[in-house]
Amino acid sequence: MGLALTGTAALGVCDWAATTGNPPLQTGDWAFVVGNWEVLLLGTLVTVLLTATSLALGFLAGFPAGTVEVYGTGRLRDAVSTAGVLLRGTPVVVLIVLFFFGLPIPRLLTLPVLDVRLDVFLAATLALGFRSAAYQSQVFRGAIQSIDEGQLAAARSVGMTQRQAIRHVVFPQAVRRSIPGFQNEFTIVLKDTSVAFAIGLAELLTRAENLYLQPGRDTAIMEVILAISAIYFVLTFTTNRTIDYLGDAYAIPGGDE
Amino acid sequence: MTLLELEGVRKSYEDEDVLRGVSFAMDRQDVEVIVGPSGSGKSTLLRCVNRLTEIDDGAIYLDGEEIHGIDENDLRRRVGMVFQDFNLFAHRTARGNVTLGLTAVLGLSKPEAVERADDYLDRVGLADQADSYPAELSGGQKQRVGIARALAMDPELILFDEPTSALDPELIGEVLGVMRDLAEGGTTMLCVTHEMGFARSAASTLTFLDDGRVVERGPPEQLFENPREDRTRSFLGQLTDLER
Amino acid sequence: MTDGETATPGSDPTETRGTTVGDLPGRRRLAVLAAGTVFWTWLLARWAYHNSLLDGLFTALGFPDLIRSERGVRQREGWIPAEPFGAAADAVGTVAAALGPAGVLVDWLRWVLDLAAFATTTAPALASGAFVTVYLTVLSMLFGLVIAVPLAVARVYGGRALRAVSLAYTELIRGTPLLAQLFFLYFGLPLASIAEDVGFTGQPPIPRAAAAVAIVGFTINSSAYQSEYIRSALQSVDPGQLTAARAVGLSKFQGIRYVVLPQGLRFAIPGWTNEFVYLIKYSSLAAFITVPDLFRQARNIGSETFQFTNIYVVVALFYLALVLTTAIAMGRLEDRVAIPGVGQSGPRE
Ligand SMILES: Nc1ncnc2c1ncn2[C@@H]1O[C@H](COP(=O)(O)OP(=O)(O)O)[C@@H](O)[C@H]1O
Ligand SMILES: [Mg+2]
Repeated sequence: MGLALTGTAALGVCDWAATTGNPPLQTGDWAFVVGNWEVLLLGTLVTVLLTATSLALGFLAGFPAGTVEVYGTGRLRDAVSTAGVLLRGTPVVVLIVLFFFGLPIPRLLTLPVLDVRLDVFLAATLALGFRSAAYQSQVFRGAIQSIDEGQLAAARSVGMTQRQAIRHVVFPQAVRRSIPGFQNEFTIVLKDTSVAFAIGLAELLTRAENLYLQPGRDTAIMEVILAISAIYFVLTFTTNRTIDYLGDAYAIPGGDE
Repeated sequence: MTLLELEGVRKSYEDEDVLRGVSFAMDRQDVEVIVGPSGSGKSTLLRCVNRLTEIDDGAIYLDGEEIHGIDENDLRRRVGMVFQDFNLFAHRTARGNVTLGLTAVLGLSKPEAVERADDYLDRVGLADQADSYPAELSGGQKQRVGIARALAMDPELILFDEPTSALDPELIGEVLGVMRDLAEGGTTMLCVTHEMGFARSAASTLTFLDDGRVVERGPPEQLFENPREDRTRSFLGQLTDLER
Repeated sequence: MTDGETATPGSDPTETRGTTVGDLPGRRRLAVLAAGTVFWTWLLARWAYHNSLLDGLFTALGFPDLIRSERGVRQREGWIPAEPFGAAADAVGTVAAALGPAGVLVDWLRWVLDLAAFATTTAPALASGAFVTVYLTVLSMLFGLVIAVPLAVARVYGGRALRAVSLAYTELIRGTPLLAQLFFLYFGLPLASIAEDVGFTGQPPIPRAAAAVAIVGFTINSSAYQSEYIRSALQSVDPGQLTAARAVGLSKFQGIRYVVLPQGLRFAIPGWTNEFVYLIKYSSLAAFITVPDLFRQARNIGSETFQFTNIYVVVALFYLALVLTTAIAMGRLEDRVAIPGVGQSGPRE
């Protein structure tokens, strides 16, 4: 069981850290990091893949949820907003272990090359994805609500139905205004994929740990963690700048006010 | 006795010359009114006097002393300012707006500051609004707090930058009333305003500024009745038309 | 890295950690409030019952048995007996069995009753974990704030160098996962042994070295996020406010201190609440550096009882209680410090 395994591993390293202190950065350890670039690359792939699937699920569920929270009524709306509060109020690590242990996901195959158990990946995707949906719904809700009522009235005044007005006037603007929020959400999900460590999913952080837990490699902990932190940073930074650029390129003049 | 003197003051932003050599002098207890079209550099001129903006060339003397030789915070204590959009400290009551400078700059004790603040709020007719926050005051009341805030520092000169242009017409009178009282009481004032009634009755000197230069300057009656320059006539004519 | 100098147009200029928990629909909100009061009464009583300082006090006063700080976390007993729930669950279970496949709902009821029985037996351990969670969060928020204010001021009003340092700090911290940061501090740096040397031995009431490291990690992490909230709040203060302060003769420092910060920090309260709630949740990652917080207690119970799903449902409810009550309490605070026309609350002009 991934959980038990990482738990004991953590304890083992703790004892070491407490008793021996830490040697400084060594060139040999950096060589070790570089020598294992394939492991880190695979970990990065899993991290990116998990981010993508979680964000996609979050979008597919969060977009309608946000719409329901604005235009919905009665039971449905209450249910959606309560589910949102539950998902946003629970730590992501609890959600991940809950989806892992609580859902009857059958033990599926292990993905070749990436060396990832599909059921573990699925549990992580569901947890990260639904939680992201709960946040994305808020982003989208806020964007819809920020659109001037007058535009809706104007659309109705040229004869559109409420539904048409929302579809053709409100949504296109709301989606653009959601970009900063989605961007933010992307960064959060990317970083939180590291929490799938809790169920032993072989993403970047887990692989990093596996590296320095190899016998005699405990001197490389700092180097390995710095290396993966740099990878996370480059991923968030470049993607953020790209989205910034796209946002500027497709901006509507004055459409942000 | 000359209190403020400007000598060939120049200021430009990037490639735009905003002030192109402005010179004039005013005495203690003078009320100098500056008029001019939008963008002519009036606000910039006022801000140069208390060094919210630094001049590029020329000199400004306060009571004979070049202002760049004076510590800027000291200078601003001696030269008060009233803003077009009030700029009241939003997190402080009317009283708190007045006391901040008294305690933080003049070093008065809290009770002294409060006593003085209440005195000045009373003078602008706001004794009963001392505990109100800016958001709870009307525009005219806000501006009177702004005036009390400047007055309480006991400045040698007060700058007014279009103090009534952000006000609804029915609220202008109460602010002008306070300004008239000050003028009569001998406060030295340098005012940018387009209130021609005030200029006629209260100003000791009227200056017409256009395109960063003083076009014409003199007693208000002279500029209104027979200006030397056509530009002055047409500009003042427009303003007086608007008033009717 | 030039974002931030000019606030991104649009609703939210800050890159944040997401929106607040949000408002529950009307009546549920009241239910949460009532449940929250009961929850905190119980939790505080539980903490007091096993608090060594109080124990010393009451023992000195002649009541040696009133407070039980000597009892190990696992030996603690719940105050609500589990048996009635267990018995009810068994009874319902028989009914469900009789109903056969039609008994799904009844079966579900049995699960809820089982869960309640399980919750009462595990509650004392969870309460002790919640204590760790709460102090980790509160201390880190406060220490983080102390760092965040100068960081934000440097970012908005500082010179080139100061701005760059502040920007680099926040971007680096916010660009990497918290869990990696904790691992770096705990396994990568000799922080734990240093903490132990300076006296974090784990003898109550002193926390263990791991907890000290966690506080360092959360403080650093949270300071970066808090400073972003504060920065955007400072930038939303009308520049005319500082101009007016300077025109009265206040120095730039005084103007920031007396005029900009009092307004900006009020604007920052909603963001600060957000961050508080976030840290309560993310403090659960301390479990992975051996800190016996709420999540780690749950995890331990899970691996002992193998009731993984049940314990994680219970601990999720526990976190929800902490998070929702905090959000409501912070809302109250916001109302209390509100000034008309400043910040989110109060009438607009
Ligand atoms: N801080 C500044 N930066 C660049 N240009 C400025 C600045 N302040 C004023 N200006 C320019 O200087 C000119 C005069 O402005 P101002 O003094 O405000 O005029 P007035 O108060 O007479 O309307 C305007 O064209 C304005 O655009
Ligand atoms: Mg102006």
